Amino acid sequence: MKLTVNGVDRAIETESNKTLLWVLRHKLRLTGTKSACERGDCGLCTVLLDDRPVKSCLVLAVEAGGHNVTTIEGIARDGVLSNVQRKFIEHGALQCGFCTPAAVLAAEALLKRNPSPTRDEVVEAIEGVLCRCTGYRQIVDAILDASTMKS
Amino acid sequence: MLPKFDYFAPQTLQETFEQLENRGEDARVLAGGTDLIVALRAREVLPKNIIDIKEVKELHKLSYDENHGLNIGAAVTLNRLIHDARASGNFPVLIEAISTIADYQIRNRATLVGNICNASPAADSAPALLVLDATVNIASQEGKRSVPIQEFFAGVKKTSLARNELVTSVNVPTPPKGSVGSYLKARRTVGEDLCVVGVGGLAAPNGKTSKSLRLAYSSVAPTPVRAFEAEKIFESTRPLDHLLDEAMPIVRKAVSPISDVRGGREYRMNLVEVLTRRLVRRLWGGELDWRGIQ
Repeated sequence: MKLTVNGVDRAIETESNKTLLWVLRHKLRLTGTKSACERGDCGLCTVLLDDRPVKSCLVLAVEAGGHNVTTIEGIARDGVLSNVQRKFIEHGALQCGFCTPAAVLAAEALLKRNPSPTRDEVVEAIEGVLCRCTGYRQIVDAILDASTMKS
Repeated sequence: MLPKFDYFAPQTLQETFEQLENRGEDARVLAGGTDLIVALRAREVLPKNIIDIKEVKELHKLSYDENHGLNIGAAVTLNRLIHDARASGNFPVLIEAISTIADYQIRNRATLVGNICNASPAADSAPALLVLDATVNIASQEGKRSVPIQEFFAGVKKTSLARNELVTSVNVPTPPKGSVGSYLKARRTVGEDLCVVGVGGLAAPNGKTSKSLRLAYSSVAPTPVRAFEAEKIFESTRPLDHLLDEAMPIVRKAVSPISDVRGGREYRMNLVEVLTRRLVRRLWGGELDWRGIQ
């Protein structure tokens, strides 16, 4: 099957019962996408599928054939962090960091479709990403700050 | 790790029907996958074949006109529906209900048709579809048929669908002019939990002083249920508090909740009463707080 990952066309062989999450981590070695509950609850495996955030543990790899996938490795450009990534650092929007790739990707997708979201809209956009360290407030602040910076 | 299966992605409806005819006995239809892949991982279902319907263009159709209402193809995601101005403008009870399903990422994959085909007693879309008198359009190689939504649910995780049949779309007629609808849901947390009790209502003007009401519930019986008998009480000009008092014992008879990890039977019974009173008052008050979901 063929798919585009972070702008690069990839051709891979995989079995029908493998998830997109598994292929990203084990075939393509893109381990920024985290594997945790593997049942669609925690959201830490969030990637962008055609620019929309989805939980990659609930997508079969074959379903992603012919589509564009963006993982956390595709967010920084030429080693330069995105606005969202910089604001996460400034606001200390992470502790252990395990949910950070998912939260950043959910935020990137939100700001792309809605460059100046309200606080409620930010909360809705990241409601599917569970943070064990409960740093939600800093995450929301960072995303709001990134949005004003863009506009 | 998921159990092994063969994957098919037919390109046309005809091919899909052929696959269902040949492999339907041992197949599951895949749309958004947000229920199916969870069930596969838990080995609650072990199909030999998975038939992905997302390559079929017709199933992505979402159309609306006043006479025919809203037609929602089997591959239309919840988020597409939520962000469709025709859907949110004319069917607020439906949009309010499906906005409470899981979370944003899940709603990017999950479909409305998948929500009803999964046939969970807790399906949030069901009370809205029940009060809107939705119709389920079903097709197979043998032909087409349509069933009212309340006849579609056959039991816990069971539908009236035959193994060779596919739900192609759901049709939701435009509600009567001047009607208002709302969905209230009791849940333990936002996002990652199923509904403890859900109640959907639609009130339409009936003459100058009276209203007709439709009421439906999720998570309180083996299938989502309409409370037809209780609805009749509200066709009256008497004060609303009297109508509610009179309707409550009848509402209680319409439901038969179980005790489970999300709530006990008595707790659910109490929620049914509290949420129904709150919902109907809201519908009678005219002013609706659409975002005020419990």
